[in-house]
Amino acid sequence: MSHKRFLNTLDYPQADSVNLNDEKTFRSVIVWLEENRIKGAPQAVLAKLKDLDSKDWHQVYSKYKDDLGCPVLESKLEELQWILGYAVQIEHLKNKNVYIKHAVENLQKENAPNVIAENPLDNLDFRSQEFADGIKELANALNTVVHPDPLITLKAVRKVICQRLAPDCVENPDKYVVKGTPFPYQDSDLGFDLKDPVLNQAAKILRMIYIQDLRNLQTKANELIVAVQSVTANPKTDTKLGKVGF
Amino acid sequence: MVVRQYQQELEYLERLSPYCWKIKKGFQPNMNVEGIFYVNQTLEKLMFEELKNACRPGMAGGFLPGVKQIANVAALPGIVGRSIGLPDVHSGYGFAIGNMAAFDMNNPESIVSPGGVGFDINCGVRLLRTSLMESDVLPIKEQLAQSLFDHIPVGVGSKGIIPMNAKDLEEALEMGMDWSLREGYIWAEDKEHCEEYGRMLNADPSKVSTRAKKRGLPQLGTLGAGNHYAEIQVVEEIFDKWAAGKMGIEEKGQVCVMIHSGSRGFGHQVATDALVQMEKAMKRDDIETNDRQLACARINSQEGQDYLKAMAAAANFAWVNRSSMTFLCRQAFAKQFGLAPDDLDMHVIYDVSHNIAKVEEHIVDGVPKTLLVHRKGSTRAFPPHHPLIPVDYQLTGQPVLIGGTMGTCSYVLTGTEQGMMETFGSTCHGAGRALSRAKSRRNLDYTDVLRKLESTGITIRVASPKLVMEEAPESYKNVTDVVDTCHAAGISKKCIKLRPIAVIKG
Repeated sequence: MSHKRFLNTLDYPQADSVNLNDEKTFRSVIVWLEENRIKGAPQAVLAKLKDLDSKDWHQVYSKYKDDLGCPVLESKLEELQWILGYAVQIEHLKNKNVYIKHAVENLQKENAPNVIAENPLDNLDFRSQEFADGIKELANALNTVVHPDPLITLKAVRKVICQRLAPDCVENPDKYVVKGTPFPYQDSDLGFDLKDPVLNQAAKILRMIYIQDLRNLQTKANELIVAVQSVTANPKTDTKLGKVGF
Repeated sequence: MVVRQYQQELEYLERLSPYCWKIKKGFQPNMNVEGIFYVNQTLEKLMFEELKNACRPGMAGGFLPGVKQIANVAALPGIVGRSIGLPDVHSGYGFAIGNMAAFDMNNPESIVSPGGVGFDINCGVRLLRTSLMESDVLPIKEQLAQSLFDHIPVGVGSKGIIPMNAKDLEEALEMGMDWSLREGYIWAEDKEHCEEYGRMLNADPSKVSTRAKKRGLPQLGTLGAGNHYAEIQVVEEIFDKWAAGKMGIEEKGQVCVMIHSGSRGFGHQVATDALVQMEKAMKRDDIETNDRQLACARINSQEGQDYLKAMAAAANFAWVNRSSMTFLCRQAFAKQFGLAPDDLDMHVIYDVSHNIAKVEEHIVDGVPKTLLVHRKGSTRAFPPHHPLIPVDYQLTGQPVLIGGTMGTCSYVLTGTEQGMMETFGSTCHGAGRALSRAKSRRNLDYTDVLRKLESTGITIRVASPKLVMEEAPESYKNVTDVVDTCHAAGISKKCIKLRPIAVIKG
């Protein structure tokens, strides 16, 4: 039962043996949660809630949960589930720093050897004229179109370097440089008309980029299949089985 | 049924354009939508002659003429748009072969009909390219044809050379080409260039009778008989240089291999089993049709769902079958040329199904609708940018493979936007019969047919020469007429013409 797990998490006394179907226990759990964990209701409301045998208890509770922001739910147990979740969230926020320290990424970071203490790039001023000029020069050297925002130009430059100037790529360019036959995309049917030649041209270019994305995805899918085939494939033929019909 | 004179019948037919005729409501009783058929002048004559013959007194029995069948399909519950006859249309069981019809999935009355798929479920065509030229192949053409013939068993009752047991078959029925991939018979790129990626996901082998499985098991990897064949072809003409380039066809004389086959006895048994079930369902649900052969069931009924699941399994069977033959073809070529199939660049250009029912999205009268599209003797032809066609063909439109008759030419077309709007993205599938099998046997002599083929320089290996006249070019409509009509009507576009240099068949 997730109710009990939540109660355990919140350190509710004897959480394992609690019977939530019992009306009185239910009421006392609500009171305990408000008093020890949520601590959101005014004193007067808390006092009324604490009066477990009161005839008006339900009315008070109903207003209390609405004030917490509990949505309309099917049963009282579902409402309790929601309130428990709310309480856990409050606890979590309170001790956020503790939990974050245990998050997977951070644990990984901690275990990784700490090599570079200082990254010289951290001290760069990306908005300085010097930086912009440098990037421009780099882009020109690589035949890349310059974008007004030097950071975007840098991204493009990075792509060019990663895709075309990696050591293996420089040594075996045939493996990386795509050889294709040109396709007159200007004449191809776009499939729709935006009634503006410039927009149509832009849409066609987007189509091309999309098709390239799809191609890369399909190539990756094919590579995956080939990898699996290296484990499973075992084609057999047996000519003795063959029989020509009439 | 109403009996009318030929002249009276003609009043229901109206020419819409030089390539297309409308069949008005009332031509057959209870038509929900109009019919339409695409023909050129030559094919038009054949169509009308067939109708005229049927109007002569005492001509009852046999199949109804194609036009009548198109109109009867227009009377089926739930049909949307129009009942469409493609240029190669000819009479078949219930539905004419070359008839496509779409049914609204959201209409509870809509039906699925095995007659609208055909007995050879997922019969289709696959085209492999090679990097070879005609001059490379001609010196060893005979040996190559013999090698193909040795690898791919043909004919009625033939058995395949890929060992399979009952468990393999169950898996193959569920997985389609993924099974062939897993077992290593084909390449990853083959799946990419196949309709539905070679696997119908709703296949359920438990809906298939044991009898069908027993018939199917030994037949995997066999070509079968009838109009099925494997041909070595050369590119004779390129109409669309760019689209052909995308398919890896660069110049005239390039060698290709075409495989035309289906689901063999397996699909036939699935269809037969379903027809029995459907007759019961029709009685129960009070479904009325103009023709007993149009047995059908509501899509949402148990029978309808069972059929769709079994049909999908048969479709998967056919894909595995064509994949196995692809494997065997590659082996045969590799042996003859002493090169690996990859070095011969033996890639699948595409694989089409021309006997199948599929759930597709289409725009009907401006509204997007989910339809169950029956294509019997009709090929899907989706336009450029359609999400269901491979990425390599996004700019050209889906390749449509049109197998000609034995010894004549074949074509590759591409899908068009106009076809998408007019015919639910469908086009013709082949030549289409002009003479019935019996008539061909009576009128033609098999030695003449074989001699004629030889004189045109085509090597032929055939399991049953005495049946070869059934498949003689004379028994069929001219595939060029058929393709030209589709091109002129704009429902698909000519791309490549291929001519056979060697044929193997049942």
